[in-house]
Amino acid sequence: MTSGVTNVSVAQVPPGTSLFRARGTSSDIEARPITAVLPLPVRLNSAAPRRYYLYLMAPAIAVLAFISLYPFVWLIVMSLQDVGVGAGEWVGLKNYTRLFNDVRFLEGWVLLAQYSAMCLALQLSIGLLLAVIVNGARWEKFLVTALLMPMMMAPAVAGLVWLFLYNGTFGWYHWLFQSLGWLDSGSILSSTDTAMLAIVLVDVWQWTPLITLIALAGLKRVPQDQLEANMVDGASPLRNFFAITLPNLYPVLLIAIMLRFMDNFRFIDAALVLTGGGPADSTKILPIYLFEVAFKFFKLGRGAAIALTLLVVTIILGKLLVRIFEKPKSERV
Amino acid sequence: MFYKPKNAIYKSVSRRRFMELGGSAVTMLGTGALGIGMNSTMMSTRVQAQSSEDAKWKQFAGSKLVFLSENTPPSFAIRDKIKSFYDLTGIEVEILTDDLPVVQQKAGIDLRSGNADYPLQYVQDKPIGAPFADFYADLSPMFGDDTLPQDPEGYGDEVWYDNFLTACGRYYDGAKVIALPYDAAVACTFYRKDIYEANSKAFEAEYGYAMEYTNDTTWKNVLDFATYFKARKAAGEDVPYGYAQHQGTFAWTTQLDIQRMMFAHGRWTDFDIDDKIGSKTPGKTKWGDEQSVLMLEKFKALADVSHPDNLANGTLELNTVYQSGNIAMQIQYHEFAASIEDEKTSVAGGGRTAYAPCPKGAPEWILNGGEAVNGTNCGIGGIGISGNATEEIKRAAYLFAIWSTSKQNQYEVLSGLGGTPTRKSVLALPDVVAARTRPTTMPNALTFDAVYDFGIKDPNFVLGPKIPEANEYHSIIASETQKMLSNAQTPAETASSVQSLLDSLNDA
Repeated sequence: MTSGVTNVSVAQVPPGTSLFRARGTSSDIEARPITAVLPLPVRLNSAAPRRYYLYLMAPAIAVLAFISLYPFVWLIVMSLQDVGVGAGEWVGLKNYTRLFNDVRFLEGWVLLAQYSAMCLALQLSIGLLLAVIVNGARWEKFLVTALLMPMMMAPAVAGLVWLFLYNGTFGWYHWLFQSLGWLDSGSILSSTDTAMLAIVLVDVWQWTPLITLIALAGLKRVPQDQLEANMVDGASPLRNFFAITLPNLYPVLLIAIMLRFMDNFRFIDAALVLTGGGPADSTKILPIYLFEVAFKFFKLGRGAAIALTLLVVTIILGKLLVRIFEKPKSERV
Repeated sequence: MFYKPKNAIYKSVSRRRFMELGGSAVTMLGTGALGIGMNSTMMSTRVQAQSSEDAKWKQFAGSKLVFLSENTPPSFAIRDKIKSFYDLTGIEVEILTDDLPVVQQKAGIDLRSGNADYPLQYVQDKPIGAPFADFYADLSPMFGDDTLPQDPEGYGDEVWYDNFLTACGRYYDGAKVIALPYDAAVACTFYRKDIYEANSKAFEAEYGYAMEYTNDTTWKNVLDFATYFKARKAAGEDVPYGYAQHQGTFAWTTQLDIQRMMFAHGRWTDFDIDDKIGSKTPGKTKWGDEQSVLMLEKFKALADVSHPDNLANGTLELNTVYQSGNIAMQIQYHEFAASIEDEKTSVAGGGRTAYAPCPKGAPEWILNGGEAVNGTNCGIGGIGISGNATEEIKRAAYLFAIWSTSKQNQYEVLSGLGGTPTRKSVLALPDVVAARTRPTTMPNALTFDAVYDFGIKDPNFVLGPKIPEANEYHSIIASETQKMLSNAQTPAETASSVQSLLDSLNDA
């Protein structure tokens, strides 16, 4: 049986190459020849032909192409056509150029940015706070289970429940908000000033537990020795949180932010049930407008163009987010 | 291929044989699944013209059809008695019901697919009929076909209430009839007679005329009533608001809400087209003219003294506001009378509510010299057949269409769940005549004087605009009107904005 590792002598290293890499402060300490630790594989069999891998991947590629690539390509084709219920007509880039003059499309972006920013900011801050509170608490398991309950509800059902709670005639929250003096005679959904807050509140209620759950998992992995060392150095719990805990949470928070950011760009169930984009288009975020164009007005070509712009922007923003969080700590500061 | 003991008495299955068996099984399962999954199956037996009526009804026995419908009382009632249709024809019909916007989306997707998963569809005049009219089958060749059973009353305009057949069945060139009137929702006034009577004297002292509601009550009077109640409420009195609008999330009913008022004043319509048939090229809109601006000003004035939840009140929510006693009057669709009269769920029941036609135009608010009428609009739901269906399926679906709109069925739906008949002969039935006055066992019949004898007749009836872009048109009207009501733009700016958006929509 071959060991799989070929011994390489120092003499094999090309002349002029440094043989040692220094660790610590002294170049003499723990110095080892670089090449000596690089195992070279021994090839027992000849390489499989490239098409062998192709055969193995073929079923997966076929399934992927059928359920994902074909609709995506078809979406691009549709975006270049004037498609309604009947056959489409080729219009080139007209569906795209028209978007720049479409006030509702442009307003939809602004509203989507506002909606996403509010949802993310609230969910992150509340979710993180809840995670810190729950972490290590006496009733941690029970609290986590209780916190997760809103997430178990279908978003459309959550929208319906809150629609009843907000109702100006019999809604409990309506009564509560009015009793607290936060609302005048109208209901929260009937005013352009408050309708957006109403749908943000529902999203925050339903999805903050996801942030809590992810942050809680991150908190369990924060190195205790670092926390203890910092405390020994006299750091307060608050400083400990910002100096040790939070930086260690960045990777998991990135996942949480990415998930929620993309969800906010896609999920419109609750908002659709609650306001349908109204009143006066004050909650007509872009995905709702896209839904209207495609499935209420049956302008499938225009809808496809909107969907593609939404997809491209989502990808770009996603990449940006990843880049921000991947920056070394020193640069980020 | 597989391990086989040496002393096995069975044969080993070879790899090839195994693949063959597996392939066959998958094919059979797939075919079976397709067969079970198909929504509509067709089995037919040819009948001759001289065949018995029973044979004509039974010629598609064993078939299965799907009817996609709105969740309205007739559909629930018909679903409850679907067995009688099965006994008559041997055809199994599955009735799927949903909210109108969902029905519209499903219908559009099904029609676009080129298939007919829903061979029978609920064709609501503007949201479904106007955009998809070209994709439904023409029913007229089947009227009078000797090989199909026929309704003894026939299907002409004369057997349905005024304008109903045209409203849901004829579009653009009017050459085809794509749907038969299945149910109707016609607007009329619901008002609290007890509250009006209690406030009449005080109102008269202030405004110089009695607080009464008649066929000649104008929109200006309604504005006065609402102003009176708002002032009382602001003074801390325990009175309801005087009025509330349908300005909630459903764009179509929001458009209907303002259309009634605009048509009442000089029969104003959005386009210069035949209002009942519609047009695929409506041309430039009349929005932006001085009459439209004035109407928006009055609509805004009315909103300012109405129930504060106007912008959240869709049709259902508005009815709840009325049922709970928070408003003294609403313009509502006559199918809601049954829920209003139910004392278990409504404080407006028990004879407190009276019904009247929609308000009339105020002559002093008419700038175009037109006539003041009681502008009344509606949603006439037809039953139509998908143009994608095969000829056999269309003929089988036709049997259900004529059965579900028959006199007997409509009478049973009216007396059972509170339907809204579309055939004139139903109103002539002694039971129904008696039900038009209290005490009644058919609450919807209390609205019939206002609706069938007055509102739907010309010159009060307004339907349109039937245009292919009807749904986007509704959305534009709703959004811009709501912006005006939330003080984001003035009535003049609103009219101008609607004008430019509609002209752009119609490439005019």
